[in-house]
Amino acid sequence: MRAVRLLVLAGGGALCAGSAVALFHVDQPSIIQKRGIVEFTAAFVGIAIGVLVWELRPESRTGPLLAAYFIAAPLSEGSWIFWNHQLPVTVAFALEFVAGPIFAHLILSYPTGRLTSRLDRAFVTFGYVYALAYALPRLLFFDPRMPHFRDVETCWNCALPYTHISWRNVDGIRSVFDWLLLPLVLIFLALLVRKLVRSSPGGRRVVLPLSLAAFFVGVQFVLQIALYGSPANSWTSTRWFWVVTLASLAIPVSLAAGMLWGRRARSAAADLVVELEHAPPGSVRDALARTLADPSLELALWLPEQRCFVDGDGRPVELPTSGSGRAVTVLGASDAPVAALVHDPVLLERRALLTAAGAAARFALENERLQAQLRLQLEEVRASRARIVQAGDEERRRLERDLHDGAQQRLLGLGMALQLARSQLVPSANGADELLAEAETELRAALDELRELARGIHPAILTEQGLPAAVRSLAERSSVPVTIVGLPEQRLGEPVEAAAYFLVSESLANVAKYAQASTVRVCVAKRNGHALVDVEDDGVGGADPGRGSGLRGLADRVHALDGTLTVDSRAGAGTRIHAEIPCGS
Amino acid sequence: MTTALIVDDHPSFRRFARKLLASAGFLVAGEAEDGATAVAAVRALRPDVVLLDVLLPDTTGFAVAKELAAGPERPLVVLTSSRTASDLGPLVETEHARGFISKSELTVAALAAMVAEPA
Repeated sequence: MRAVRLLVLAGGGALCAGSAVALFHVDQPSIIQKRGIVEFTAAFVGIAIGVLVWELRPESRTGPLLAAYFIAAPLSEGSWIFWNHQLPVTVAFALEFVAGPIFAHLILSYPTGRLTSRLDRAFVTFGYVYALAYALPRLLFFDPRMPHFRDVETCWNCALPYTHISWRNVDGIRSVFDWLLLPLVLIFLALLVRKLVRSSPGGRRVVLPLSLAAFFVGVQFVLQIALYGSPANSWTSTRWFWVVTLASLAIPVSLAAGMLWGRRARSAAADLVVELEHAPPGSVRDALARTLADPSLELALWLPEQRCFVDGDGRPVELPTSGSGRAVTVLGASDAPVAALVHDPVLLERRALLTAAGAAARFALENERLQAQLRLQLEEVRASRARIVQAGDEERRRLERDLHDGAQQRLLGLGMALQLARSQLVPSANGADELLAEAETELRAALDELRELARGIHPAILTEQGLPAAVRSLAERSSVPVTIVGLPEQRLGEPVEAAAYFLVSESLANVAKYAQASTVRVCVAKRNGHALVDVEDDGVGGADPGRGSGLRGLADRVHALDGTLTVDSRAGAGTRIHAEIPCGS
Repeated sequence: MTTALIVDDHPSFRRFARKLLASAGFLVAGEAEDGATAVAAVRALRPDVVLLDVLLPDTTGFAVAKELAAGPERPLVVLTSSRTASDLGPLVETEHARGFISKSELTVAALAAMVAEPA
């Protein structure tokens, strides 16, 4: 490929230099000579930049398109300077209208060299078809010496192209094609405006210099058609000399300007470093989006343990694949990435800025990545803790059910059997009656203990009738009088109800054991998506939440549900236990 | 003779309850192991008394009592459970049943007293 590029550069250079030199050996007015020099110089600069872009960005078609345009344009226009030679006339006839569609192709597809919009593609395709379709009758039938041929004012000495067969009057064809030229240029200008409007701010920054130059070229072309009927007729006009010169130079100059713009990347990256210094966590993406002028920028952080990219909240993200219209730039070493930027592909044109900004944000991103990792781990721990508590509750419920259905039922049957046996004894059966009565008493005590045990494991009333009934039943059994201030009317969800129940149950047990209180107030309420549980006594206070497994276990249970538990128990001021547990809306 | 229906999902309880009710002078017309069977048995057997467990596999004794109270048979319903009244909360004081006797308190005397007491 490099050989091809060198060939293009050398060939283009030779062509331009040769043409420029030849200019002074033909009999032409000095204005045309001057203009020719400008045209050929601009063409050579354009070809050189095209080859350079081609070398630097082989995946983009911009380079070859640029070189093609700057070969086709002077070949077709400049050939008219040598109108009395057959070769230039043939080349001019063949290429006269090809430079136009190449130009549209180049500008509309800049900087990727690929036309993404269907409208642009249709327009450029039509342009190529137009140029080739128009070249054919011109090559075969046009005679530049005929009076209707207005491209050059006086052309009695013009040579005929090699391909000329015979002169035919093709005025009809010619007027159709000529008539189409102006609308085509106007459509091109409209598409160019559309491209600018639709691109992202960062993209606009990249394409703006070239687009403005192209706009200028298009407008002066329209004016030439309007004033002279054909651009070629303006060649001898001194008035147009500077306009046309500017237009010729605008494209290579603006391209060079666009490439030099990348140098500003360093200072933008330096600004970014200062900005990140004071940036709060999680704002790296916004700062990068501002520096790169791409609001659509997405940041994906690499987690080496999980071997996946995640967003700022620690959720895994898929990087877009090629062809999705988004580009990915991975920061850090290829075997140890730090983060990936998902951005507008146009930013690839500003690779220097991208690299500098990525390097500047490196430490902030490292920090952000650690935070994402931490959040992910926290989320995992939180979820597993909630699962453990839930599994524990489930197991306790099952145990209670097994006790109830198994041992308890058998003991109850036994009690009834004893009762029946006693009723069937004849009086004074050697004290058997007393013995049976004693056995029944013993059995009842065993049943009570079993029931107490089952209730401690998991209260059936909570499962079957919900929290209010369960709390009321706790209050009834409490040895210290309980005032229920409020209970929620709606269900709070199983884990939350279990936590609230055990909180009240354990607190009431502590009050009975240690508080020496005369009354306890219990309140469970639902407010703002949180279950609020309060147990307050008027006892001696001084409870230490750090000591004893009871309160500690309750705190764990509440924390497992993302809730908070506070114990306020100054000596002599009673004890107040307050929990807030999120329970959905 | 007063006829009775025993509703409970534990076979061992039904077996002993049958003997207990017989010794208390009831004629046990049938047994049911869940709510749906209980309602069907009441329609078919028209018992005077239903000894109804509170916790059934398909429903609760409270719901069955409510359904029976709405029907034409209107048997006298005695709720029972292996749990205590305080375990079950305020629901045991339903108007659709004559009363509640915990299974561990279920004796001939207690049952007879509850059935005999004026509604």
